[in-house]
Amino acid sequence: MTLTIVALLPGLQNTNGDAESAAVLARRAEWAGLDARVVAVDDRGGLPDRVDAIVLGSGSDSSLETSRAALLTMHDELRAWGTEGVPILAVGTGWELLSWGIERPDGSGIEGLGILPGRAVPSRGRVTGDLVIASPRFGTLVGFENHARDYVGAEGSPLGRVRAGRGNGRDSGQEGVVMGSVIGTHLHGPVLAKNPSFADQLLGLAATRAGLDYAPGARAAIVDGYAAAAREAQIGAARAAASVTDA
Amino acid sequence: MRYAPAILVGRCVRFAARLRKPGGGSAVPGLIVNRIAPGYLKRTLSGFPQGLVVVSGSSGKSTTTKMLVAILRAHGVDVFTNPSTANISQGLTSALLERADWRGRVPGDVAVLEMDEGHGALVMQGVDARVVTLLNVMVDQIDRFHDSDMVARMLARIAARAHESIVVNADDAYLERIAEQAGPDVAVHRFGVSDAVLQAAPRGLGYTETTRARLAADAGVRVEAVAGDTAVLGDRGASVEIRLPARGTHYAVDAAAAYATARAVLGERFSETTAADAVSAIPAVFGRGERVRVRGHDVEFVLVQNPASYQLNVDSIEPGTEQILFAMGSDVRDPSYFWPTDASALGRVAIVSGSKAHEAALMLAYDGVDIDRVEPDLARALDDFLAAPAPKSGVKTIVFTADAMRRTRAHLGLTGAE
Ligand SMILES: [Zn+2]
Repeated sequence: MTLTIVALLPGLQNTNGDAESAAVLARRAEWAGLDARVVAVDDRGGLPDRVDAIVLGSGSDSSLETSRAALLTMHDELRAWGTEGVPILAVGTGWELLSWGIERPDGSGIEGLGILPGRAVPSRGRVTGDLVIASPRFGTLVGFENHARDYVGAEGSPLGRVRAGRGNGRDSGQEGVVMGSVIGTHLHGPVLAKNPSFADQLLGLAATRAGLDYAPGARAAIVDGYAAAAREAQIGAARAAASVTDA
Repeated sequence: MRYAPAILVGRCVRFAARLRKPGGGSAVPGLIVNRIAPGYLKRTLSGFPQGLVVVSGSSGKSTTTKMLVAILRAHGVDVFTNPSTANISQGLTSALLERADWRGRVPGDVAVLEMDEGHGALVMQGVDARVVTLLNVMVDQIDRFHDSDMVARMLARIAARAHESIVVNADDAYLERIAEQAGPDVAVHRFGVSDAVLQAAPRGLGYTETTRARLAADAGVRVEAVAGDTAVLGDRGASVEIRLPARGTHYAVDAAAAYATARAVLGERFSETTAADAVSAIPAVFGRGERVRVRGHDVEFVLVQNPASYQLNVDSIEPGTEQILFAMGSDVRDPSYFWPTDASALGRVAIVSGSKAHEAALMLAYDGVDIDRVEPDLARALDDFLAAPAPKSGVKTIVFTADAMRRTRAHLGLTGAE
């Protein structure tokens, strides 16, 4: 039994290296002694028969329409996997495309796939910086945010509370959205590498569905040591930046 | 005369800055002149008799500018150019002041400026360029440039300042779209690589979006072949052989860009052989595959500037190189955009260092690289790395980002090149 991790539209949706989270899941599975593979999927025809986890990263605004069209061909599958409990991690514009929709500054909009509640609305300026959140389910999550839109309508089920950074914005004090096993977040890049407990919970879900046992391997313990030190540095920097702003 | 007082103040400040920090060029004089004579930069840049040439893009600006200046000088042209660190308006003004007479006039026939894609659009406001050369659009420094759309928008604004011609990389789809916007009076010159060269690059050219079709042989300056540190440029049916400052297809592309730009600037005066000789005479650049003798060891230095150069450089490190020090510094604000690269070819790294050591170690570990030690203190890492006995295979190799390179050079007392 091989765990199949799908990286959705990695050509278009990998601006911040978010699609690499698929590889992170596969590596951790291998370190735990499980077989795992990453399948890059650009359209419905490329979908494997079995899917154990999905990662959809962030792209440029100029590719929103193209990415949306590609995702629409897999609308039924995505919806079904979401309800069946397949872990789906969607980041940045990938998350926005799975929402109710995206509002542009000129008032026009892009309809989303409606798999996650809420929608993306223009924010006053681009937000880039460290983002630290406290998630009741996944613990303290650390990463980098890079987005030009806020997110509204996720109040009922955010991923966590913002400790440093902006997150969903509009004074919500919240970051991300969760619907069962479908997760949307502004945390970019190596979010699963830097937050190993987050990765392990998603892998746990995938493994259980596949009838497998997952427990992090010995190699993971060493690598998670690097993650812990990187997290500590980033939390420290975010805290210092926050106290400067407060002063 | 209108700028004389401002120039005088700027020079006094420069002199004072020098006293405090010998040999150090400073942006402060430029800052002050910009404040008291805001039109100085614009007027001076627009005042060169043979015009202003601007080189911008995500990667390769310094090398291309260096090559272009060498070609123009070899043709007897008096060139003003900026050091690569001085490409925001204060630094640029300071660089101009270095050469200015008491009235603020800067001698030279032509100015060739390397322009940061972020600051360029701002600096170029109201400035008239004769030729603008655009190299590529790559993912880089997402904290500054967010995404490729943003970089392309900034480059389009720089290109819009060209009144005679723009020179674009025909393999870069973003730049081809900018070229389509060029006005009817603006000529478009192109450079690119042949199909064979692209096929030989296992991971492509590193551009965010590569065009589907290659440049036709007669449609511009084309890299026909790359072998080690030599390349052949195809130019109007002629094959021009050149030597590169280091191995790598991207240096050949930089050379093609410089060559095509020089042709656009010089017109009838351009000579293929003069250009080829000038490019070939450029010495190897520190931190780009150069070998230096340090503390009794041959050490190879590899500079990582962006994901594309990272991938190219990692792939070109001799397989089985036993001792590698990998240092990532604070210039990489957040390394997310480096994650799509694949460093598995390194196999094993002896020490990971720099202020972003743990971020770098995390990335390398997920690429399957074994790491012997993580030591964020770069000075200690360098000392221990160089104190270890010579490797049985390969040379000691130091891979670093720009900030880590500066600290490494300072710690090891290396000066000279650049
Ligand atoms: Zn990687």
